Formats: sequence, C-alpha cells, structure tokens
Amino acid sequence: MAESIIQIEQMMKVFYTDEIETHALSGIHLTINRGEYVAMSGPSGCGKSTLLSIIGLLDTPTAGHYTLNGKKVANLNFADRSRIRNQEIGFIFQSFNLIGDLTVAENVELPLTYRAGMPSAERKKRVEESLERVNMAHRMRHYPAQLSGGQQQRVAVARALAGSPSILLADEPTGNLDSKNGEVVMKLLQELHNEGATICMVTHDPRFAAHAERQVHLFDGKVVAEGELNRLLAEVQG
Amino acid sequence: MNQLIQDVRYALRQLRKSPGFTTTAVLTLALGIGANAAIFTLVHAVLLRNLPVVDPKALVRIGNTDDCCVNGGTPDRNDYSIFAYELYLHLKDNTPEFEQLAAMQAGGAAFTARSSKLDAMPKSLGGEFVSGNYFQTLGLQSGAGRLMLPSDDVAGSPSVAVMSYRTWQREYGLDPTIVGSTFTLNTHPVTIIGVTPPAFYGDRMTDSPPDFYMPFALEPLMGQASLLHRRNLNWVYLLGRIKPGTQLAPLQAKVSGSLRQYLATIPLYQKADEQKNLADSHVVLTPGGVGIANMQQNYSSGLSLLMAISALVLLIACANIANLVLVRGMARRAETSIRMALGAQRRRLIRQMLTESVVLSCLGGVAGLAVAYAGTRTLLSLAFPDAPNLPIQASPSPVVLGFAFGLSLLTGLVFGIAPAWVTSHSEPAEALRGSNRSTKDSSSLLQRGLVVFQAALSLVLLVGAGLLSKSLSKLEHQDFGVETENRIVMHISPENAGFKPEQLQPLYEQIEQKFHALPGVERVSLSLYTPLEGNNWGEAVAIQGRPEAGANSPVGASWLRVSPEFFDIVGHRVLRGRGITAQDTATSPGVAVVNQAFVKKFFPNGEDALGKHFGTEGVKSSSDFEIVGVVNNVKYNNVREPVRAMYFRPLLQVAKSSPDGETRSLYMSAIMLQTKGEVEGLESQSRKLLASIDSNLPVMNYTRFETQIAGQFGQERLIARLTLIFGVLALVLASVGLYGVTAYTVARRTSEIGIRMALGAARSNVVGMVLKEAMFQATLGLAIGIPVALLCVRFVKTQLYGVEGRDLGVLVLATLALAVSALIAGLIPARRAASTDPMNALRTE
Repeated sequence: MAESIIQIEQMMKVFYTDEIETHALSGIHLTINRGEYVAMSGPSGCGKSTLLSIIGLLDTPTAGHYTLNGKKVANLNFADRSRIRNQEIGFIFQSFNLIGDLTVAENVELPLTYRAGMPSAERKKRVEESLERVNMAHRMRHYPAQLSGGQQQRVAVARALAGSPSILLADEPTGNLDSKNGEVVMKLLQELHNEGATICMVTHDPRFAAHAERQVHLFDGKVVAEGELNRLLAEVQG
Repeated sequence: MNQLIQDVRYALRQLRKSPGFTTTAVLTLALGIGANAAIFTLVHAVLLRNLPVVDPKALVRIGNTDDCCVNGGTPDRNDYSIFAYELYLHLKDNTPEFEQLAAMQAGGAAFTARSSKLDAMPKSLGGEFVSGNYFQTLGLQSGAGRLMLPSDDVAGSPSVAVMSYRTWQREYGLDPTIVGSTFTLNTHPVTIIGVTPPAFYGDRMTDSPPDFYMPFALEPLMGQASLLHRRNLNWVYLLGRIKPGTQLAPLQAKVSGSLRQYLATIPLYQKADEQKNLADSHVVLTPGGVGIANMQQNYSSGLSLLMAISALVLLIACANIANLVLVRGMARRAETSIRMALGAQRRRLIRQMLTESVVLSCLGGVAGLAVAYAGTRTLLSLAFPDAPNLPIQASPSPVVLGFAFGLSLLTGLVFGIAPAWVTSHSEPAEALRGSNRSTKDSSSLLQRGLVVFQAALSLVLLVGAGLLSKSLSKLEHQDFGVETENRIVMHISPENAGFKPEQLQPLYEQIEQKFHALPGVERVSLSLYTPLEGNNWGEAVAIQGRPEAGANSPVGASWLRVSPEFFDIVGHRVLRGRGITAQDTATSPGVAVVNQAFVKKFFPNGEDALGKHFGTEGVKSSSDFEIVGVVNNVKYNNVREPVRAMYFRPLLQVAKSSPDGETRSLYMSAIMLQTKGEVEGLESQSRKLLASIDSNLPVMNYTRFETQIAGQFGQERLIARLTLIFGVLALVLASVGLYGVTAYTVARRTSEIGIRMALGAARSNVVGMVLKEAMFQATLGLAIGIPVALLCVRFVKTQLYGVEGRDLGVLVLATLALAVSALIAGLIPARRAASTDPMNALRTE
C-alpha cells in the first residue's frame, strides 16, 4: 500500500471581511502519496491557491484535519509551521519569487540558511548539486535580473530542491513563461517526478495538467472530480 | 557568526543599491550621533574623566564646594571646603587615615616669568602653590627632571618649581636645558627641577591649567602680602589619598572634629556669638578622582541640559529614519513573504532587518565622528575662548569612540525595531499571490504615530530654544549701567613686578601720565578690578553709631580702589556729592564713594548717606571712611543677580584703624582707557609703554570692555545657540518626516485620488483632503507637545533670566513655527496629488 505524505480531511477555510463570510474551501478531502505527481485545477476563485497555501503551511485552515508526513499540522503555531515548511516543503511560484538582491547561488542557499545547524560547506554542496540538477550551475554568480524567465524558474526549482523536501508545491509554474520555456520547466518537473519526487502542482492549463499522473479538479471550494486525466476527460465528455 | 556576516553583507548590498536612502539616512544619523558625541566629549572631559594619576579612586577631597579663592569669616552653612595653610598642617598631622594629604592653592595666580636663558621679555604665566607632597599624593612620575618633594617645601630650602609639560612644549619647544635652568618668577630666581608628565593638567579641570607648580614655602617670597601664615584666611584646597579600607563616614566626622579644634583657637570663633557656628562647622568628604570639581559644578547643569537636548534631536532623527526604513520595508514586503514562505522564522527576519538598521547606524556613527570632531572644536571655541592650554582634545578619545559605537548600536535598534516588527508580520501566503496584489498596509498608523512623536518633540525643543534665546537676549541687553564704547581693559601686576608699597604712588602717576600722553587716549584709570571681569573683593561694613553686627548679619559690601577718571570711563554717574579725585591721596582723610545699592542697604529709611562714616573692622573702625559721594548702580559681579552694595576708595588710602592690613589691596591690577574712536596699534603701544616703565610689568591681558562683558555670558550663549540649532534641526527633521509620510500616502492613494477626480473632485478638494490629514498629525503633535513642553520647562528654569517658564509669546511662536512648517511640508505633496491625471491614475491601477 502507498505511503501517504499529505492527508486532508473535512478542510474548511473561511475568510471574514467586515461582515461577509467567504467560504474558500468547503470540506476538502485529499490524499497525496509519496512519489505521486498531482495536478490541481479549476476555474479562477475555486480555492486552488488557498488549498495550496494550506498544504504549504503558508496559511491555516478554519476547520478540518491536515497530516503531513504523519504529523498533524493543522493547528501549529507560526514558528513551528515555518520550521516544518523549511524542512518538508519546496515551493515553486508562478512569478518565480527570486530575491533580486541575491545571486542565483544565494537564492538557492536561502532556505538552507534558515535551517539551524547546517554547516556552510554542506549548504554550498547542496546549492551546487541543485543548480547542476537544473543545468544552471554556470549562472550561480548571476543575479536574477540577468536571467531569462525560464532560467529564473529553473533556479526557483533548484531552490525548492536544495532543502530535500518531502514534497514540491508548484503554483502555476509556467504561468509567467512562454510556451517553450513552460515546456522546459514541465519537463524538468517530470524528470524530478521520475526520480521519485512528490509533486503537487496548481495549473489551469490542461496541457500541463496532463503531465501529472493524477488530477484534482476544484470548484467553489470543493473537489468535484479526482482521478487520472483520461478518465476525467471521459467523464466530462460522457 | 556565519549568519551575521551574511546578514551584514546583505545589508551593505541593500544600502549600496539605494544610494539616495543611504545618503539621507547616514547624513541624518551623522548629525544626530555626531552632535551627541560632541557634547559627550565635553561631558566626559568635564564631568566624568578622572585625573590622569595613579589609582584616582583612592583620592578623597576634603570639601565639596568651590568657595574660591581667599575667604575670611565663616563659610556658608559652616561647610568648609577651603582652608588656611596652617589648618591644612593641623589636619594633616591629625589624620593618619590619609596615606598622603596634599594642599593646593584654590585660585591660581599669574606670575611674571622669564627664563634667564631663553626669554628676552618676561611673560605672564599661571602658577599654583602646592604642598611638597603634592606629586607623591597623586602618584606621578616626572616627564623630565624630577618632581617636587616634601624637602623642597621647607622655609629656607632652595627655591624650586616644576613646569607643566604643556608649557614646556608650548613656550619652550621641549628644550631639555629648561630642566635645571633658572627662571625669574616675580623677580625671584627659581630653579626648574622638572616637568610634569605629559597627560597631567593639574588637580582640577580648568581652562587655564598652571604653567608652574611651586612649594608653599616660596609663597612669602612671591608677593608683598603673604597668606601662608594667616590663620584666619582660607585659600587652599585639600586632596588626599586614603589608606586602603578606610571608611569615609568616620573619617569625615574625625576631620570635622579636628577642624573645630583648630577653629576654636582663632579669634573669629572666640566671640560669644560665633559659638553656634563653631559647633556647626564641618567638612564633607567627596570622591577626589576628578580632582577639585569646580568646573564640574559650574558646567554640570548646562552640559546635562545639552546632553538631554541632543538626545531628543537624535530621537527625532531616529523617528525620521524609522519612517524611511518602514517605507522601504513595505516596499520589500514581497521579499519578506518569500523568505517566510521558504521557512524563515520571524525572529530571524527581525534579526536580519535589525542588522541592516545597525549597519546603517554604524555608518552614520562613523560619519558622525567627523561631525563630532568638528562639533567639539566649535563647542570648545565657544565654551572656552582664548584657552590655548585647555586640557580637552577635540579628537575622539577611546571612551568617546566607545560612546559613539554604543550609541550607533542603540540608535540602530531604536529606529529599526518597529519597522522590523511591522515588516516581519507580512503574510507568507502573499508569496503565492504575487507582487501585484496589495494587502492592508499596517505600517501607516506607525508612520503617522512617528510623525506625531516628532512634531511633539520638536515643539518641546523649540519652546526650550525660544526660552533660552529670550533669556540670553534679556541677559545681554539688561542695563549694566556701563559705557563700553571705545573702552579698553588691560591687566597688570605691580606686585609680581616686585614693586614695594612705597613705590606704588610714583608708579601709578607714571602710568596715568604716560597713557594720557598716547595719541587718541582721552581718559586713563587704575583700579583694583573692573566690572564684570569675574573678580570681587568684599568686606563687612560697620556704620558709625550703630551696634556691632551679629555673626550672620547681612552687612557685606563689595569694594574696590579706583583712580579719579574711573567713574567716567566705566559709566558711573555721580548722583550726589563727588567722585574720587586727585586730592584723595594716601595722606588725606579717608573717603569713600558708595553706590545706590549701598545707600539702600545701609540707609534704608531715607537717611542721608553723605557725610556718614563707616569702617570694615567692626565698630572700632567705623570712623575710617567718610562717604563723600553716591554713584549709580553698575553691575560688577553676577549678571543674573541684582547690583550689590559697593563702595569705592582712592588708590592708596589705608584705613587708619588697620593700616597694615591693606597692603594687598594697594596693588592695582586693572588699567582702563577711554579713547577717541579706534586707535591703531594701541595694544602694542600699551605693552611698550608699560615695559618702558618696568620691564617686569607685562600686560597680562588686553581686551575691549564690551568683549569682557560678553565673556560673562559664554555658557548661556553656548547653551542658547546650541538649543536653537537643535530646535531648528528638529523642526526640519519633523517637517521632512511629515512630508515623507504625506508623499508616501499620496503615492499609495494615487488611484483613489484619480477616481475622486474622475468623479468630479476639484483640485482644491484634493489639496484640502491631503492637507487636512497632514495638519491633523501636526495638530496632534502640538496637542501632545504643548503640555509636555510646559512640563519640561522646569528643567531649564534655572538657566533662565527675566523669562517666565510659561512664556506665552515663546509658546505661540514655537507653535506657529511648527504649524507653518507642517503646512509647507503638507502642501508640496498635496499640490502634487492635485495635479494627478485621473486617466493615468486609473491606468496604473
């Protein structure tokens, strides 16, 4: 039986603005197994990013259970969430989110500097390996502004990989890229998956969702369909 | 450590990337830290620095007040701080708890000095009589030759003196032959046996440290009226080194007991009505590490006030930079969110942001050292003009460097903590949302709060500056009763030049005649001293026909000897009777002219003072002087106090009841000239003239009368000017702060303003809206600042003269200055907001 990394049950997220309640997530159930490549899709405002924020411990749910790698993490305090986020999760953002004042190497090293006790030599080694893994080692002394969008996203992938996280969370990783560079990044993610990485990706582009082995479709804060892409397409068409 | 280095490198990179911000912040901090470091340099040098001697903490002073320089009678509150020389010997013999107990002359004296080998003309240099164990007490080693020993301080032993290192350096270029050479001091040959160590500046901080240290045994040889064995005249300070483990409280009681034992043997305390004073007579032992702390007492309140004011300016600067840092922090919120998304703990982010602030403030601190150096030089020249021997260096000492570094760290933390806290509370989820999505800006309340804080503090400083400036103006423009136009004052010392009392009359006649013969000189006078030069002679007055005054009766009056033209030169008007004339000679009947305050004090019931007699040695002397004239009041002493009762006597008349007791007062020290306009080369002519009379009669100082008077307000002027500078600086900083926040708010609200204008808002509506907000902050600052300023007035009240603490005019002026500055600071961004193109603004959104 496959080992689950993420288990979410009855998750709710409600935003309160003045007197208005907005239900962003309404009773989500989701399990992601180790080594799995899951794509989450759905129309704008369906709750994809909210769900990804909660999975990535960037936000907390209003209600429900969330187990990450066997640990209950739904109600952790800020500091504990930061620590687990740093150790267990690698983020790839739509807008790359590299820090312009840091070199490529420093950007990749950044999450490692927040990890207590890791020696400098170990950090350097991981940075080099990660950048080599995304073919960006030759640009390690450059600044993000000196790179193309595709290269920046590859550096962002290297940064996500550097901490050896349990899961990579990608939020529209090709959203700010042209199709050619988008394909390159998707290929990279596919390779990582083939090497055993667990990936959860938010995308609204079916072409890229097709790279995943499982799709989760959200609508109005609920999972309305889940399964392999072909089966889902068949269901939708049928 | 690794992380810290990384943070510092990142901080430097950030600062390099924003040269505008960095320059503004560093300059602001440099001004704030530099001003504080400059004033701390003075505070440290004057108030905190120990004497450069061995183990200064083991030094104890017997006494706690200034009381300089030669006093008879009973001291205030029967608290002894200045002693007769024989009293010193008595205390020394009776207090074995002191390893050494040294005595030193309370007021240094000017000496006419000439090196037999190196000086063509005699110089006027400062000297101090000290006990033979003076240098042993301080634990000093000589800079050259040897220092004085107790065996040098014995009557009949060879005449020796120790030269100060600074004098050796300044006057004789460290010439090694000075040691062992003979100097003529006040016409008496003295061998220079050695030089003090380079860092030593004497037993007290002063703007004119002694050039020579001489044993007390030489004192009778140096003048005509020795104080050495006058048992009733107090003129030396005492400083001792106590034995380890000595408790001060019992020692103080013991010294007080010894003091009373001695006092009981002098005639003053043998009178029946002095017994209570005798029983109350005591000493207070004080730490002697800083030496004789007279300057500390004089400057303490002024320097503390300046330190507090400069700290307030730094606080305002901090608030300004906190606002700048906050704006930058908000601009970098996306980056903060990314860092948090990558697992950065909040405290880690705060630490990184604080590192940036501290790096910035350290850069400001380094630049501040340059400001401090320049500021200290300016301060020293303002506070101690004409003091080439001042033992305070403008270059920062290790303590000042440490202070500047500590202050920089503290400053960085103060202005960095709030922005770091606010910025670190970004939401990590914002990293997912991208940079274009805005969230609620939690910084604006803090920004506005900082502006209100700045405005309130600025008002406090402006009110303080206004009060002190008004006080200075009242001090300077009060009616001193003097004429200063074309008046010159110079000082001489016939006593140092070796004149005997019987030689004085021809000397004075010669001086008057020769100066009168100089072209352009209208009037010439000689006097014991002149108005507002910091000198005073006082006596207890006994009016003829009245009973003997009690021990603490207020019968004191100041007095001086003057020549006939003195009143006209100074500006005294003879109101009744006559002035001092050429007919008032040494042999004519004793006369005195009194001032209005004298008449008011001693003849309060409207009695006619003219023709009345008085003396200064009790009832038995009350027929000594006849009052022959009354002159108007002129201020001679403290410019803040009312004119004292004064009487004026001819140059050479002595009281018939005590003809031998007045020798010292026969030596005039001041010459005043009244000229017809500006006389070119008068100073050099005067010096030549006096040298032609006697080569040992150098001019000790030569100054305009108005300059001498202006010198009385040095400290007040320094404090008022600095407070005004700080007040204006605070106002500018607060205005810049208000401008910055308003401009930032306008930039953030560009689209809102565009929408308003698209919906029909006129430009005046937009200007009004922005201005209203800016003025609201300023008004809130005023509302807080006014009561705080009124509360703080008590801290400057002791510095004020002729100004009420709650001066409505000053308050209104300060309020107006702040309001107008706020209006200008708000109007610039308001006008910019009103010029927003609605189309552009909406497109931006």
